Amino acid sequence: MTVQPHPRPGPALPRPPSWRRLTALLWWIEHAFERARAAARPEEDSRVRIFLILAVFGVLFTGLAGRAAWSALAAPAAPAGTGQVERQLTRGDLVDRHGRLLATNVIFYGLYVDPAEVWDRDLAYDALRRALPELDRERLRSALDGKRRVLVAGGLTPARRAAAHALALGGVTFEEEDGRVYPLGPSARHVIGVADGWGAGLTGAELAFDAELRAAGVDGSAVALSIDLRIQGVVESELGAVMAETGAKAGVALVTDVHTGEILAMASWPNDGTRNLATSGHYEMGSVLKTFTVAAGVDAGLADMTTLFDASRALAVSKGRSIEDFHAENRIMTLEEVYLHSSNIGTSQLAIQLGPDRMRDYFKRLGLLDAAPMELKESAAPRRPADWSNSTLASLSFGYAIMITPAQMIAATGALANGGLYVPLSLRKGGAGVEGRRIVASATSLAILDLMRRNVVRGTGGKADAPGLRVGGKTGSANKWTGTEWNTNGVGSFAAVFPADGPLDAPRYAVFVLIDEPAKGSSLGGAVAAPPVGRIVDRIAPILGVERRADRWRTADGRPTPTLADLERDPG
Amino acid sequence: MTASSPVRRLFDWKIRGVRWVEIIGAVCVAALLCSVYLVKADAQRETARIAELEAAIAEDSRRVRLLRAEVARLESPARLEALSRSAGLTPVAPNRRMDERALGAVPPVAPAPAPEILP
Repeated sequence: MTVQPHPRPGPALPRPPSWRRLTALLWWIEHAFERARAAARPEEDSRVRIFLILAVFGVLFTGLAGRAAWSALAAPAAPAGTGQVERQLTRGDLVDRHGRLLATNVIFYGLYVDPAEVWDRDLAYDALRRALPELDRERLRSALDGKRRVLVAGGLTPARRAAAHALALGGVTFEEEDGRVYPLGPSARHVIGVADGWGAGLTGAELAFDAELRAAGVDGSAVALSIDLRIQGVVESELGAVMAETGAKAGVALVTDVHTGEILAMASWPNDGTRNLATSGHYEMGSVLKTFTVAAGVDAGLADMTTLFDASRALAVSKGRSIEDFHAENRIMTLEEVYLHSSNIGTSQLAIQLGPDRMRDYFKRLGLLDAAPMELKESAAPRRPADWSNSTLASLSFGYAIMITPAQMIAATGALANGGLYVPLSLRKGGAGVEGRRIVASATSLAILDLMRRNVVRGTGGKADAPGLRVGGKTGSANKWTGTEWNTNGVGSFAAVFPADGPLDAPRYAVFVLIDEPAKGSSLGGAVAAPPVGRIVDRIAPILGVERRADRWRTADGRPTPTLADLERDPG
Repeated sequence: MTASSPVRRLFDWKIRGVRWVEIIGAVCVAALLCSVYLVKADAQRETARIAELEAAIAEDSRRVRLLRAEVARLESPARLEALSRSAGLTPVAPNRRMDERALGAVPPVAPAPAPEILP
């Protein structure tokens, strides 16, 4: 038998050698039967084919069985959960000093619409609008009329999500989003600040403690601020009342612990979250700075409370400029009287006696020439005097020629009330943890505390007194330079400490209130800022555990302490 | 092999041409495989259960956070003050406050008169 070669169909195109070999192999297998018959061994053809099939399937099933056995017996077990729960927060909670919530992260939901899966777009539009009336109409309509899946609304609470989910609309889906919420609304807004949608702090404590809040988000803890929410509430309430009563342009109120520098409350008006005037508002504050001038003079040994100053006539400090008193007594006064009558002439004389070097040194020590050191990034540097001439020294002595922030003011006041140590302000619970820097002697601090108390009892700060709480303080009233003239309706302020008596290391707190351009009533500090200070002290004393007690001037319920003459006149 | 020992006989003992020892070995291996499989399957079930519990805890944590935020809103000082003022409440005046140590000075309440005995 002659074997005819099988005609090989194939294109004339050139092929690579490997492809040609593969083709040849396939044809060789295909023609195995013919070859076997030609060789008179047809049985071998079936065996070969059966063997090949068996081999292929055998290898296949052996592989499958091996993989299954490995998966069942040798594959590593899946991890038993993550070992952590709810640890993927972007930021940790922000709480006050007693753990009350100020800011937290909660899961919101974003509503997405895929128009390709919406069966009846008009029906879906109406149903979603009924379930979620706050949805943006145009956005919803454009999403339904569009061609791709888009976000229609974000920040849905679980309840709102459930309301929309219950509609069972095709093409309406939800995705989780981690959102920052501030449950107190406008309260403490300047202190807390805000964080953006990507979890980065932008202002306030959110920015100041950004790294700590991120770390707290990882381990599920919280960052505690020094703020006491109850005191913050009182301060905001009283500041808001003054603002409503006077129609003022702006206002600030602060409460601090003079020993630790902790800020217990910080309020800034307007409370729309724009600018924190407590840390970045610059003011010529007026006579509240007389406390620092007197402290510098006493600490430098230039004067004591009985030192006499001639305030009987205006004081010429430069060519063409004389200093006069607002509450002119036109007489020679002791330093105590200078302070109690808020004599510009007296403090100007003291400042000129101190000279530029010592004045600059004391102002520097009191932190009046630099931004108040604290965690808040908004803490602004003051506007310092251009020169330190006698005229400038006189202005500085009663609170002009320098524009400082309320934060600087209360930090310096606290330093004079805690024994003479400058302690940086802090929003951290427990304070900044740095050692106080001595700026005046303890004796000076005691003298200033006594003087401030006398000023409330017998001087210009009478409206700041709170029954039994021994408030001491100093009023401040300043005109504002508009660029062309002095606006007499300027800034009224009051810097207070309480209780002003007792040992230097006793618990003591500083309160500062500033009212900017009141539209109604007086703008003098004693009239506009002292009353809210008294009310704030009265309301926060029980929270701080300050007991009402009598001192040498007032009884525990606020009545004047009877003198010997009173007792002799008493017919009973 | 001389004097085939009992061990050797036992080793050579066959059932349908297969050594008994090999059958026992195969059964043991199969039992081991089955036990390992069962243990792993049980571990997988436990793992799935843990994952379910963790998901439930995470969901509860979310709800707790939401509720805490709601509580903070409801207890905010500004809101409470507005509510108390609308209810006519005001801060207690200093002369109406008393330290607990001063309570001893409060005169005792006079005893109620004895009930009149009717004839």
